[in-house]
Amino acid sequence: MKADRFERDQALAAEYVLGTLSGRARRRFETWMMESERLRRRVWYWERRLAPLNAALQPVAPPKAVWSGIQARLEHGRDRRGLRRGLVVSLAAAAMVVAVLLAARPFQHSPGPLYLGVVQNASGQPLWVVESRPDSDSLVVRGVKPGDAGPGKDYELWILPRSGPPQSLGVLPGNRGNRDIELSRRQDRALRLSGRLAISLERQGGSPTGLPQGPVLYQFHLLRIQPRLNG
Amino acid sequence: MTERQNIEVPLIVRVARGDRQAFEKLYGDSSPRLYAICLKMLGNVDEAQDVLQEVFVKIWHHADEYHAGRGTPQTWMMSIARYACLDSLRARFRQRGVEELRGDMASDAPDPQQAALQIVDRRLLDQCLDELDGRHRASIQMAYFHGFSHFELASRLDVPLGTAKSWVRRGVAFLRRCLER
Repeated sequence: MKADRFERDQALAAEYVLGTLSGRARRRFETWMMESERLRRRVWYWERRLAPLNAALQPVAPPKAVWSGIQARLEHGRDRRGLRRGLVVSLAAAAMVVAVLLAARPFQHSPGPLYLGVVQNASGQPLWVVESRPDSDSLVVRGVKPGDAGPGKDYELWILPRSGPPQSLGVLPGNRGNRDIELSRRQDRALRLSGRLAISLERQGGSPTGLPQGPVLYQFHLLRIQPRLNG
Repeated sequence: MTERQNIEVPLIVRVARGDRQAFEKLYGDSSPRLYAICLKMLGNVDEAQDVLQEVFVKIWHHADEYHAGRGTPQTWMMSIARYACLDSLRARFRQRGVEELRGDMASDAPDPQQAALQIVDRRLLDQCLDELDGRHRASIQMAYFHGFSHFELASRLDVPLGTAKSWVRRGVAFLRRCLER
């Protein structure tokens, strides 16, 4: 019985690394992987074992534009160093926003945890606030002061799943606008697992392909915030 | 360019701490190999460049998740590149549908045997691949280099789906036994 499971895990891990494990099976496996250290180790084993195959490929220097593109994305998306340094500021900003939200709309019955993301520009000015509750399958996005996306443009919100392409949550509201976003089960799951969102600049109405076409301007996490019960 | 440049762990540590200079060096040392992987898997220059960008943005953001269990820093970065390419291939597959993809499968036979054997692991893997039944070997190499799913493998090799699956499965099981002995 144990040996069977070992064989099965080995086979799945190998096929995950090869890429033949696809679709739902791949996503299911990714979930198991998150839950199981043992399975992760099997995957790493195959990553290491198969990597030498790549030695057969002749290295090719990428054009300069690739590096410029990476730099631009790190500048735009706020690099992690910036995020880390800015985390305190972020949390402070988040706390302030929470305070404002609480004042404006006190928690009625259940002061459960709140998931909150504050999107700021490089100078710490909040642009949007994204919030959700664990017991609801929708997100609320408020435009604090995002500014205009430009003529014929819109900002579009994306879930960044732990793996797989971004999933669109539609275009964002402008200044002082609010939008309720109902999450499909797939979106809800992806967001629960990764907690990561991104905003890109797209043509009006959003990307027609279902994948980001324009530059990714911001990436951010939803933070869990537990309000005080005796507040 | 930077032929067989070894990426050292301290460099990754510096990147994890947010050192941009270290990141630039890492990019210089490792991008040619990662780009080669993307080109091979995606077979499309524009897409390969897009994915390569994404890969390095990921490396920047996740450098602190590197650990020796993932192999050398090089191996770890290759894995990131491969998964990003697989994702991109799947997205493409979903968008274009199966028919078009079938017509698109050019006769680009993988030939990973030709490179100089520089690493012990590589030699061992080659030995094991050599011992493998030809069909099993072909399906594993095609999957690895082109990111084919079982279904795509089956149509590319012109065999029933179940056959493609079992070739991969048996190939993988054999490889493991061989690598372990």
